[in-house]
Amino acid sequence: MTGPAPRKGTIQSVERASRILKVLGSGTPRMGVTEIAERLGLAKGTAYGLLRTLEAQELVEQDPETDKYRLGPAMLQLGNAFLDNHELRARSLLWADSLASRTGDAVRVGVLHGTNVLIVHHVFRPDNSVQILEVGASIPWHACALGKAIVAFLAEPSRRALLELELVPLTGRTVTDPAVLEKVLAAVATEGTALEDEEAIVGEAEIAAPVFDDRGHSVGAIGVVGPVERLVPEGRQAAAVVAAVRETSRGLSRDMGAGRVGPRSSAARR
Amino acid sequence: MVAAVTERADDARERVFDVYDATMIHRWVRACADEVAANRDFLTQLDAAIGDADHGINMDRGFSAAVTDLDATSDLPPGELLIRVGGTLIYRVGGAAGPLFGTCLRRAGEAFGDAESFDAEDLWKALRSGLDGIQGLGAAEEGDKTIVDAYAPALAAFERELRGGGDGATASRKAAEAAREGMRATVPMQARKGRASYLGPRSVGHQDPGATSTSYLFAALARSVDGGR
Repeated sequence: MTGPAPRKGTIQSVERASRILKVLGSGTPRMGVTEIAERLGLAKGTAYGLLRTLEAQELVEQDPETDKYRLGPAMLQLGNAFLDNHELRARSLLWADSLASRTGDAVRVGVLHGTNVLIVHHVFRPDNSVQILEVGASIPWHACALGKAIVAFLAEPSRRALLELELVPLTGRTVTDPAVLEKVLAAVATEGTALEDEEAIVGEAEIAAPVFDDRGHSVGAIGVVGPVERLVPEGRQAAAVVAAVRETSRGLSRDMGAGRVGPRSSAARR
Repeated sequence: MVAAVTERADDARERVFDVYDATMIHRWVRACADEVAANRDFLTQLDAAIGDADHGINMDRGFSAAVTDLDATSDLPPGELLIRVGGTLIYRVGGAAGPLFGTCLRRAGEAFGDAESFDAEDLWKALRSGLDGIQGLGAAEEGDKTIVDAYAPALAAFERELRGGGDGATASRKAAEAAREGMRATVPMQARKGRASYLGPRSVGHQDPGATSTSYLFAALARSVDGGR
């Protein structure tokens, strides 16, 4: 594996160092210098020099017993800084807490990143059960309510571009037909909320609404995720959850500077 | 199908004729419950790495309920019994595993119809229907790091043994071995379905909990078709 060719005007060593960090951030958290060199198609000496440099910056650290490398403490600080500087996330914290306690289910806040929704905030279902933090998770936009809520209010060209890309099924219920999905999005634009009914994970559903900024752009979405039997009892969306999500997204949009009229994009005015 | 031996087929007759009745299903479900209970914490530990950290607890709760339910259903034919167990799993396991394993057993039960007995060929068809049920719900293919990665090779091994002239016991044993290999093979995979897929490359290096449970169900099957040890 040698990775993509560096783009013109970029610096090769920085690109290589970045790839080292990414490989350490994937499935195998501890790797020896030989393994890293092989994975990235680098000479061992080159990999070693890069690792030493990253280690000096605390971006990687070496296990004293096994000599293997892993991500360093500076990475956590960078990750947290990313989240702290994220305006939508910062403004969503209190709204998400109160939405979770109001509905009794987990709440997620996401932004569109390429064709995926990146989860930037996650409040656990308030029942003291063990749950795994999904911040940083990446979900195909068409398979989650957050994604549908955001995309429904994007400007026409952006929405069309997303519909033209491959729509991968995550379950047997994921909508992968662009014509069907387009109708779903039109309904979301009218309703103001989006539903995901076992389209991402079997047994789970999500109800979400877009968050708008001061220019009327759908910069993200907030939604409640939980067992399908609770969010979509007998095939119908739980009205109380829909209302709670809608109110929360309006409040959060106001905090983000959105005008009282809400979305200004052409999508909502079709 | 040899109807004459089915009414009260004992273990010795099962081996001779390769014909089974509802008692095998009883043994299987109990063996599943034992396997899951014995590995409950391990399953949860696997799930904590790439899922919601509740797989072991959920599966244990569901199969315990299924076993309790079995005591009240001793006179049901194999098909109806499996449909009932499947329903219990859907309701009591919850999460994604409940609908997936529950639908699997329901479909397998439906494949048996209302027959009082079944042979190894019927069992293979039932297992195949079970996989269809799982794939219908989850849309997973082999290589997606799911239940299917243990189940599909197990089913294939079962069929291979059967076509080669093997009996149900041997086929089930081969299936259990293949399921175990399939389970281990999920470690280096990147998840493309389920919550683990949200993690992208971070899902690499962890064994899939669903594939692990599946290997327990096939191990339990091998023990049950053998007559139960």
